[in-house]
Formats: sequence, structure tokens, C-alpha cells
Amino acid sequence: MKRALIITALVLASAVSLAAAQRGAAGAAPAAAAPAKGPVPRMADGHPDLSGVWWRGSDVGGRPAPGTPGALGAGPRGQQGPPPPSYTDLYQLAAKEQFKKLGDKDDPTLKCIPTSFGTLNVSMFGVGAVGQIVQTPKQVVLLTETFHSFKIIPTDGRPHRDDVPPAWRGDSVGRWDGDTLVVDTKNFSDVPWMFAEGRVSFHSDALHIVERYRRVDSNTLEIEATVEDPKVLTAPWTVPKQTLYLAPFDQIMELNCSGFETQSLMDAAAKENYGKK
Amino acid sequence: MKRKIFGVVVTAIVLLAVTMPALAHHSFTAAFDPEKPITVKGVITKVRLENPHSWFFLEVKDANGKVETWAFEAGTPSGMIRNGYKPDLIKAGTEVTIKGLRARDASQTMGMLQQLVTADGKVYGLFGPQEAR
Repeated sequence: MKRALIITALVLASAVSLAAAQRGAAGAAPAAAAPAKGPVPRMADGHPDLSGVWWRGSDVGGRPAPGTPGALGAGPRGQQGPPPPSYTDLYQLAAKEQFKKLGDKDDPTLKCIPTSFGTLNVSMFGVGAVGQIVQTPKQVVLLTETFHSFKIIPTDGRPHRDDVPPAWRGDSVGRWDGDTLVVDTKNFSDVPWMFAEGRVSFHSDALHIVERYRRVDSNTLEIEATVEDPKVLTAPWTVPKQTLYLAPFDQIMELNCSGFETQSLMDAAAKENYGKK
Repeated sequence: MKRKIFGVVVTAIVLLAVTMPALAHHSFTAAFDPEKPITVKGVITKVRLENPHSWFFLEVKDANGKVETWAFEAGTPSGMIRNGYKPDLIKAGTEVTIKGLRARDASQTMGMLQQLVTADGKVYGLFGPQEAR
């Protein structure tokens, strides 16, 4: 029972799409195409301007914009493949044992704790599928729609802060390597998981993530990342390169979390051991 | 008197459902049972397009004329709106058939919405309007 909302949503979306094809759709707005492609916009200092709302071409359960894979990647008739790659194959022996004991009910996002990375392997998305970048000459700010979180990334050469406690989203600093923004994040709390949707993905406080952001044209942002955690992983994990697209809207929206209201439903689920036999 | 008690019960259920929950953005299967699909047909009484997840409420009449209020959890408002859903797209009084997954707590008439079909054949999914891909 580790199927997640994202997985469920896309499977359902494909089933519903099929039904819609047979019965007539409910006047859905056509998926908006991405803006026309152009050169990489630049700041006055010459660095690429990464600002914009970025996604994979759709929301979870939404219809992918033309030429994009959609939130999880779409196959024929909206079918989708396996969940995004994870790093749990690299768990050390003790972590593998711990992994076996955990499941849906232990997912910190049930308590509205954000992910330390991102369910779709994009840290800017966090628990969801869309994020916004606001860039200034000395800072790049990543805004995350789902659970409303942010990362402020100073790019003026300062070191990591040494006056803050471990944080759910870590502490980030950035630097420019040519046209690539390199973001170094550490000082994570060990409470969040890397991913949401019940996918067991705990880490330690030694988690260290290095991301490389490159805007390849006006509409396309590529992100590469390396994840290290010497306390629980046997080797660093190289995250598959993520390609994001400029969304056809310029503001993310509110998507908060208020887990206390779900308590009665979750308590009832717990009594049934979450459906496990 | 019976009618009054019934009204109180229905109100209580609705209030419970309204103040209840929207799941965080986590696995739905922790709270809804994929092995308990359910289909109900009834009349929409209220749609709450709200964070973190939206809810559809409907009154369902059984063969004996008994009315139950059901609540189905749907997608995030941001995702639904970007997918073409508008606040008044489905109004109170609309006759619908909803397919979903029942809450693991079977004492509550609640579920996760998978598909909503209006009497005139329009199809909605977890995130609002759907189209063939």
C-alpha cells in the first residue's frame, strides 16, 4: 500500500481520460502551450535570469502542455511509468533494516512536514509539482507552492550560516559556475523524508545536496543534483537530470497543509493497520 | 420528531465532513481503501474549493428513500483551477454520479473522488475537468 497520491492521481487521470473520450469531456480548458522559445534572459550583471514559474508541463493529474512530459511523464493515453527514481537502493545495512519497518503511516508529510528534497526529484517542487524562482543580483529565491516553503540562496560569496539549527529544507548558498547556478545545501534536520506520498526515504543530519541549475533557453531549465549522506548511504546518489518548462502563468498559488483535521480519519485508518493484513 | 433527528444527524455529518479534512499532500491510501471502490448517485449540496484539498458533498437517496450525506475529497484547488475548474462549475442541485474509494473508517460516509459524471454526461476527475489525452 505504498501507492501515492501522485501515482494514484495519474492512473485515475488516465482512466478518467478514457471515460471522457467515450462520454464527452467536461469542457476542460485546453492545456496551455509554453511561451514561445527565445534566448536565455539575463540580469544586468550578465548572469542568466532563472526567474519564472517552472513545472514539468502539467500539474499532477493535469493534461500535459504540448511538447512536455507532464508531472510524471506521460505515456500512451496518459499512462505513466514507475515512480521517480529514489536513492534507497544505496542504503547501508542498518538503514535497509529501518526501511523495512516504515511505511505510509510514518510519512512526515502526514504531519505537514515538507520534504527535504522533492517527490518528483526537484527540490523546488517539494511535495508538489510546481515552483517559482525569483532572482535578484545577490539572492536567488526558490518558492514552493505545496506546503508553502522557500529557499533563500545567497549568491554573494558568503559561506553557510553557522548560527541556525538544522532545518527541514536545509541551509543553502549559491555560486555561479559560468552560466550554471550551483546550489549547496546542508544542515538538514533528520526529521523530513526526501520524498512524500508515503515513499520511505529517510536520511540523516549529514545530508548534503548539490544542485546545478542551467537555463538552456527562455523556456527550459535543467537541474542536475548529487545527494550525499555518509551516515545512511553507501555512495553518493546522482539524481537523474530534470528538465523543467516555463509555465504559462507567472504566479504559484496557495497550497497549505493543515494535518490536524485529518486526525479522525487517520486514527480510523491506524486501527485497521492501514489496510495491511 | 424523526425528521428533526434525521436533520440533526445529517447536519452533524456535514459539519464533521466540513471541519474534517483535507489530507495533506500525502498518500491517499493511508486513509482511503483502494480495495473498496464505491459508486454513489445523488445531488450536489455543496462544493468546497479549498486548501489543501477540495471536497464535494452530495445527498444520496437509497431504495427506501433514506437520504445520506456523502463527502468526497478531490484535488488541490491550485491544480484544479489550472486544469480548467472554476468555482461555480458544479453547482448545488446538480445530479451526479461519483466513483471513488471509500474511507478506511467505514463509519463515515466519505471517500476519495475518482470520477464525477454529471447527468448530462460531463466527466470530471480528481483534478477537475478531464479530456482525452
